[in-house]
Amino acid sequence: MSAVANAAEQLLNGVTLGMVYVLLAAGLSIIFGVMDVINFSHGELFALGAYFALSLVDPLGANLGFPVALVVAPLAVGVVGVAIERFTVRPLYGRNPLYHILLTFGLVLIINDVIRFTWGQQQQQLAVPAVLSQPVGAFGVRVAVYNLFMIAIAALLAAGTWLALNRTRYGMVVRAGSQDREMVRNVGIDIDRYYTLVFGFGAALAAVGGIVLGGYQNVNPNMGGSVIIPAFIIVVLGGLGSFRGAVFGGLLVGVVQTLTRTYLPVLEGLTVFLLMIAVLLLKPQGLFGNPEWGGGGDEEGELLVGAYGGVFAAGTRRRLGVLAVAGLAVFPVVATVTDNGFYVTLANTMLVWALFALSLDFVMGSAGLVSLGHAMFFGVGAYAGALALLHLAPSFLVALLAAVLVPAALAWVVGSLSIRVSGVYFAMITLAFAELVYSAVFKVEFTGGSDGLLGFDALLGLAGVGPRLSEIELTVAGVTVGSSVVFYYVALALAVGTLLVARRFMNAPFGSVLQSIGESDERAAFVGYDVTRYKRRAFVISGAIAGLAGGLLAVNPDTFVISPDQTLHWINSGEVIVMTLLGGMGTLFGPMIGAGVFIGAEDILSSHTEQWRMIIGAVFVVFVLFVPRGLVSVPALLARRLGSDEGDPPLGVEDREVNADD
Amino acid sequence: MTDGTGATGTREGPVLETAGLTKQFGELLAVDSVDLAVERGEFRSVIGPNGAGKTTLFNCITGAMTPTSGTVRFDGEDVTDLPPHERVRRGLGRSFQITNIFGGLTVRENVRLAAQSVLDDDMTVREEMLRDKETFDHINDRTTGVLEQVGLADRAEELAETLAYGDQRRLEIGIVLATDPELVLLDEPTAGMSSEETRATIDLIEDVLADRTLMLIEHDIDLVMEVSDRVTVLTRGEVLATGDPAEIAADEDVREAYLGGVRA
Repeated sequence: MSAVANAAEQLLNGVTLGMVYVLLAAGLSIIFGVMDVINFSHGELFALGAYFALSLVDPLGANLGFPVALVVAPLAVGVVGVAIERFTVRPLYGRNPLYHILLTFGLVLIINDVIRFTWGQQQQQLAVPAVLSQPVGAFGVRVAVYNLFMIAIAALLAAGTWLALNRTRYGMVVRAGSQDREMVRNVGIDIDRYYTLVFGFGAALAAVGGIVLGGYQNVNPNMGGSVIIPAFIIVVLGGLGSFRGAVFGGLLVGVVQTLTRTYLPVLEGLTVFLLMIAVLLLKPQGLFGNPEWGGGGDEEGELLVGAYGGVFAAGTRRRLGVLAVAGLAVFPVVATVTDNGFYVTLANTMLVWALFALSLDFVMGSAGLVSLGHAMFFGVGAYAGALALLHLAPSFLVALLAAVLVPAALAWVVGSLSIRVSGVYFAMITLAFAELVYSAVFKVEFTGGSDGLLGFDALLGLAGVGPRLSEIELTVAGVTVGSSVVFYYVALALAVGTLLVARRFMNAPFGSVLQSIGESDERAAFVGYDVTRYKRRAFVISGAIAGLAGGLLAVNPDTFVISPDQTLHWINSGEVIVMTLLGGMGTLFGPMIGAGVFIGAEDILSSHTEQWRMIIGAVFVVFVLFVPRGLVSVPALLARRLGSDEGDPPLGVEDREVNADD
Repeated sequence: MTDGTGATGTREGPVLETAGLTKQFGELLAVDSVDLAVERGEFRSVIGPNGAGKTTLFNCITGAMTPTSGTVRFDGEDVTDLPPHERVRRGLGRSFQITNIFGGLTVRENVRLAAQSVLDDDMTVREEMLRDKETFDHINDRTTGVLEQVGLADRAEELAETLAYGDQRRLEIGIVLATDPELVLLDEPTAGMSSEETRATIDLIEDVLADRTLMLIEHDIDLVMEVSDRVTVLTRGEVLATGDPAEIAADEDVREAYLGGVRA
């Protein structure tokens, strides 16, 4: 009897949580479906709602403030959403959804920093009216009134949204737009005008979710980051652009999450991702998605590669490359002599991330595979390396070998399953796999759980013979260099070597096919190529390179711990995409530069200001709007500016013209 | 017969055969039990009003869509369940209704990729992964030859997306040609062209693809009657009539279907 009551309580808790997800996912899904925008900042808008409410409840008191906040805060967040759409998202329509990732990723950093700056780091309680916090009971089931209130509010809003979508002309246009935008345009409706309101409305719905969840649990700066991934899962699970899917998916995920936590704690954090992967494999368009749209990926906007940026002749470029490598080779010597040894450590981090960025560009810049889960290969590489050091042999070679092989095998499995879906679905399924790995590593004893692995040390040699990498000191010509410098040269050699091999791959028949696939999957198949096989092979190579980067992180003498958050967290996947775009996708070396600049900027900014994330975020936003081809295109941009003072069309306009057909 | 240019033009029987080929979208029978037999070397046109199922039929033959039921036999082999790329490698090429080229690559690379696809069988993995793609002589020769045949040799280094529309369609024919197909399916290769351009394109097709078996979807009935060996008329997914141009022109059912279509 009490077990039944308990189950009923848990079910109710699950539905409560699920309703919050519904509020979050409904907006996300419509924005996704109608505008093709992967809005990472949706979670921060959700949090912003809670914080606005906090500021209203404080002076007004819970009884008056909470109801007022429930109306005013979502409106305010809606205005923020409208502003975001008008000034940042709008210029990017027609481009690949990837640019929205970069843009909204920047917005996440900005909004999150604004929140931390304005309201502080600690979690706070959002007071709710006393009448809502009492418990009620029936049939032995006890539940807070607040749960019922949450469910009621969310249900009301969901029903209202459904009516608006199905019973108004406005909603009809939006729904039509989520199925076939071109068709809506062709019948003479200016659908762009509708976008602003959709975005604002989605933001407002998310804000309501944030407020009610804030009152249920608490309000903290991480609340946006913790709901955004489940929200994406729900949207994909339910079917992109499907309101019904968002409602069903939200409830399903809420209930499954809550029940797993209670009854199957071993699988906590895993079930939802398993669920999504299973659904996508069986029904790639999601539970309520329409197979005729979305999944095909054929009307995706173009990816702007950095390759067209070249103003230098081939010879000049080669000389620049040699010069850069030579400069990098003497850098630690200069740093050591001038007593700036710290910068070698920083440069080591840059090299690791440069390799990681190279790995992503290998699949993204050529074949157009946007992996949102690349941190899984980086992280698994790091773990494989550290575990090899701990359990196999304390040799850095063994560690690096493990760090390449294990992620490559993982990439084969993940690739085989994920490549069946394309475009945004591919991005999402890779994200799900990455979150699955993250959660698994978090839970397993062998990998050290949330603390990670400690106490591994690499030897510079094979099979337990050789000096410890972390204890090496060399004295050359009166200058003593430490282990960081030794590692630096290992990492530099591997980074340059991998770049050269990757370039050979790209210039070989294999690479030419990858590029043709990036241009058009369909055409490549009708020229006679087994697109799946090429994509999978590229994905395995990419996974291996990402693993190598992770392995280097593990053998780096300045690394003392390999933890899930440092390696496997989805933020890392986001950051490496940012680096790739920042540098210039499709050039292989550009993303490596992007990684260096990113790490360097982060380091410099974070030592000068608390609000460094905000600045980095703003830089992304500016970048994606004005320099979409990345840093490597800057010389060409400057040359063009200087060559012809005016008359150049704004970049975005010109770029859109490049878009092949339709 | 002839040695062909790699085409397997020696076997007996029709090069393409469909039996009971059907494609259903929900309630709609887009292709309804179509039986076709296209002889080697034939120039077959498929005509019919909009929505008759011509493109869907092509999609089922090339593997872009899986038929609901029925079979497709190519060169005597059942290819119904083969993916498109396997069919291309067996000699089944196609062009698209909407121009479908690799816009961001050069004209030459477009053709080279197609040539590489059918000439890479004896390539080792090592070569495929590491050898410079420009150093395979037999692929380069085929590429250069095709570029000359379709008259794009002097534009080889331009990006394909910068070509004029007519040239893009020529490039598309070049891509198909480079895969050395036995049977070529051309889905409205002249869509959106002026009548002179249409003429020139059909001449080009007759010229460079003369020794292949051709299946053409085309709206210009006069042109179809002029160039085809045989014509198949589709309406509502079904074959209404098949015959040589004179027979088709005289067919009462065909007249009615077309005229009826106009009246409705």
